[in-house]
Amino acid sequence: MKQKLGEERRRRLAAAMREAGVDHLVLYGNAWQGDYLRYGADFGILEGHGIALITADSAAELYLDSATDAERAEVEAPSVRVHFAPDIARAVGARLDRVANTRLAAAPRRFVPRWLANPARGFALDDATALVDKLLMLKTESEIAAVRRAAQIADEAYAEFLKAVRPGRRQYEIVADMEAHLRARGCPDNFMIIGSGGKDVLGMTPPSERRIAPGDLVTTELTPAVEGYFAQICRTLVVGKANDAQRRAFAVFVEALEAGIAAVRPGVRAADVARAENDVFRKHGLGEYTTSQWTRVRGHGMGLFADSKPHILEDVETVLEPGMTLIVHPNTYHPEAGYIVLGDAIVVTEGGAEVLCKTPRQLFEVAA
Amino acid sequence: MRRGLISRSPVELPDAVFDARLDRMRAAMRDAKLNALVIYTNNTRPAGVSWLVGFVPYWSEALLVVPRDGAPYLVVALSFRVKTWIERVSRIGEVLHNPRVGLKAAQQIASVQKNAAVGIVDFDGLPAGIADDLREGGPNLVLSEAGPLFAGLRAKADPAEIALASKAAAIAHRALARARGGSLNAMIAAAEQQARLDGAEEIYVAAAADLARDMRFMRIEGEAASGKSFALRATVAYKGTWVRLVRAFCDLEIARKAAARFAQAVAQLPSDRGFAGFTSWLVEGCRTTQPLEPLMGSRFGAANPPSPGALVSVQGFLTIDGHAVPVGAPALLGAQGEAASLLIDPSW
Repeated sequence: MKQKLGEERRRRLAAAMREAGVDHLVLYGNAWQGDYLRYGADFGILEGHGIALITADSAAELYLDSATDAERAEVEAPSVRVHFAPDIARAVGARLDRVANTRLAAAPRRFVPRWLANPARGFALDDATALVDKLLMLKTESEIAAVRRAAQIADEAYAEFLKAVRPGRRQYEIVADMEAHLRARGCPDNFMIIGSGGKDVLGMTPPSERRIAPGDLVTTELTPAVEGYFAQICRTLVVGKANDAQRRAFAVFVEALEAGIAAVRPGVRAADVARAENDVFRKHGLGEYTTSQWTRVRGHGMGLFADSKPHILEDVETVLEPGMTLIVHPNTYHPEAGYIVLGDAIVVTEGGAEVLCKTPRQLFEVAA
Repeated sequence: MRRGLISRSPVELPDAVFDARLDRMRAAMRDAKLNALVIYTNNTRPAGVSWLVGFVPYWSEALLVVPRDGAPYLVVALSFRVKTWIERVSRIGEVLHNPRVGLKAAQQIASVQKNAAVGIVDFDGLPAGIADDLREGGPNLVLSEAGPLFAGLRAKADPAEIALASKAAAIAHRALARARGGSLNAMIAAAEQQARLDGAEEIYVAAAADLARDMRFMRIEGEAASGKSFALRATVAYKGTWVRLVRAFCDLEIARKAAARFAQAVAQLPSDRGFAGFTSWLVEGCRTTQPLEPLMGSRFGAANPPSPGALVSVQGFLTIDGHAVPVGAPALLGAQGEAASLLIDPSW
């Protein structure tokens, strides 16, 4: 299945290259920003950095500067010719010198090592970031199926999260349980941040040594990956019984999430979805908390990167199309309760949005 | 992304350790006539910045600027809302937030001296977009490669770094000791859980699922079956220091023989003589920003042989009594000609 998906992607990429007149495409990746590389080379990089070279006839070579990852790539990406190269910029440069008379491009070009992008080289790298971005955003049925499976795993993981959160436990101990749960199910990757406390908490971060206490709001984004495709769920729980202020605050987030998802349909812009969410906050006199001082984005794309394009913000003009997978999440600070998150993964369909997360949109309560 | 414990410990990494490293850095900058040093960090290349100020980005990217005559400051693409987290987990005086970290860093440096001489660690490998932004933000700055300067300063591990590596090795050993269960997935889950409970900043567990068929390690996705003999490799980070440790699940006598031959080979490092007879071998360590950079190995020779006193992680593959067996552990090279020694016994 994995190999078939990788081959399908590479065929799409090669077709897009031919249409754009690109003969050789350089795809850069590292463990943080690995989606472009994975799209073309079907390898999830963990260490060092890597460059895939894709030809318009769909052949792929992969240059890695980690010997350990290069060995792993030989096993995990058998359809790709793997090169271990301590200096990947110069190794790829030497390879590109041989095809310098063809049209070359790179994505994401801003991440390519400076040496390789230097105009002094004997070749020029056009910017093909937008070309690959379009492929990353518009997913095939096989890709959506992987996101759908990841969303199911996210739902199951949140059920485990509810069991893992107990007074006295430290944040990092809870995350340890979640990662073990995912590895036991054969899920190799996850993006996860967490927050706990009261009105003093402004957002989520990696886990700390802070102990969970009665009355805490505990927030998390869980983002497991299946075959490299991430799907996210955002939920908030209370340790003990939720108070009136927490319930009132949470109701605003439910209303905003529903408004955001209702706005999703082909032809609308990412900005329209963000505005639908933010209008709910503005209606409740909370417009200030939709600004960048309090929140980063009102959702974002999901796929081979956990936080991909388009970002759901009121100034993002990207038009939604069927096949895009997103999370809509009006996460922000509420002055009466603290930082609250609520978000569901969705697929944009011809008729609107298919919600992938099945976990109820409720303010959960766990024993204090 | 990092999702283990990122925290600052004034016991394990006292301010005096960072001060001593910065003092050495500034002295080297004076010798090299540099006004400022710039180091890039993301979660793949965090080791330069974490060595100087303890900051490890869980996500996104940043530049550390070390003025020769001022306090270091961090320019991050992360949002303002995580400023307090950054200040809590690292020893940094000022954090500036800007999505274009190169532009902001250059503007800050140029605001003090327009034509400052700026050394950049791994300048050639810097993301092209950040390099362009450095030029735009400080068109008169004189930018140069500072990788060798930085590598020379951190080549020999200091006592704090050795202690952190020893802790990371102990975490990895305990994790692999806990690798029990009815399936390979269950073993990996148990190992990872233990490491994270012990405070690991990160752990990657890779498996060679059937040593009789293939000794190469891979990341397991989905349900995986193991052969009669198999191996797990734990790559563990603890407070910015990374190690690898390998456990082969095979005949105990074979594993014992492999561990003994491995220790003998490691003792001779940086000479590769001890690895004669190994199917393959690899020595990794940190020179600049990549935590475990290949330094020497059977596939590529001695590209960057480790310096005396360096911390390394070593892996090797042997055939013992007709059985393939991998072995690996972190080690410390002798600082003054003495034999290298393993940080932990790779036996269970």
